[in-house]
Amino acid sequence: MWKEKYRIGVELIDEQHKELFRRVTEFIKTVQSQESWEKKLVHVQETLEFMKDYVVIHFADEETYQAEIAYPEREKHQATHEQFKAEIEKYVAKLNDDGYNEETVKELGGRLLAWLVYHVAGDDQKIGRYVAQGKVVK
Amino acid sequence: MQLKADYVNAFYLATQEVFKQMLDVETELGQPRAVEDMLAGKEANVLIGLTGDIAGSVLYSYPQKMALEMVKILSGMEMEELDVFVTSALGEMANIISGNAASFLEKAGLKCNIFPPQIILGEHKTVSVAAQKAIVLPLKTNIGEFEVSVAVKNQTK
Repeated sequence: MWKEKYRIGVELIDEQHKELFRRVTEFIKTVQSQESWEKKLVHVQETLEFMKDYVVIHFADEETYQAEIAYPEREKHQATHEQFKAEIEKYVAKLNDDGYNEETVKELGGRLLAWLVYHVAGDDQKIGRYVAQGKVVK
Repeated sequence: MQLKADYVNAFYLATQEVFKQMLDVETELGQPRAVEDMLAGKEANVLIGLTGDIAGSVLYSYPQKMALEMVKILSGMEMEELDVFVTSALGEMANIISGNAASFLEKAGLKCNIFPPQIILGEHKTVSVAAQKAIVLPLKTNIGEFEVSVAVKNQTK
C-alpha cells in the first residue's frame, strides 16, 4: 500500500507514514479476512488502540516540523489533523457503544484507507515540495 | 448558464484531480448531457447533498468492476464484493472530491457545504433531489467508465 512516491524527504515523517500505512493495511487485512468475527476482534481492538495514540504522536511531530520550517500552510494543515482526530474519536465512541459492530469497523477501515492515501499523497506532498524549493528558513 | 457551467466544472476538476492524486488514474471527459431525473445508473453510487449558495446533490456512479478496482489500487488488496469496507472507501473519496469542489466554489465566491455521503447500491434507481435538471458528466478511465451527475435546485448568488 505504501508507495515510494509518497516519500517527502523528511525521514521522521516518512517513517511514520510508512508505519501508518503498514498498520492500516494490517487492519484492513484483518477486517476483510474470512476468520470469525470473535477471532478478528482482538486484533482489531489492538490495532485501533495503537492507531489512536500513534496518529496523535505523528500529527504532533509533523506540526512541530512545519513550525520549524515556517511552513506557510501549517494552520490549514493542522485543522485537517484536528478534523481527522475528531472523526477517529467519534468512531471509537460509536464502537464502544455498539460493542464493536463488524459493519462499523468495516466502515472505519474504508474511511481510514481513503483518508490516509489522500492526505499523504496530497497535503503532505506539499510539505516536501516546499522543502525542495529551498524556502526553508532555519 | 455561465454560472451553472462553473459549478459543474468545479466538480469535474475536483474529480479529475483526486483520481490522479489518489489512484494515479487519468480521467477523460465525454459529452455532458442534461437529464430530467438524477439516476443512480451503475452498481455502486455515492450521493452527496449540497447546501449553501449552491443547494442540490452530486452523484458519483461506478460500475461494480471499477469500484472494486479503485479500492484495490488504494489498498493493494483484491476486493471481492461491494461490502461496507469498499463502499465506505468510495464514500470517503466522494466526500474528498466534493469537499475540494466546494473549496473551488468558495474561491469563486460561492459558499457550499456538503453532507455526509450516502451509498446507493443497485442500478437504475431514481434519486429524488427536487431539482429540475441534472447535468451528467460521463468520464472515461483505463479502469472503467463512470458518471458524475450534478443537480442544483437553487443558486442564491
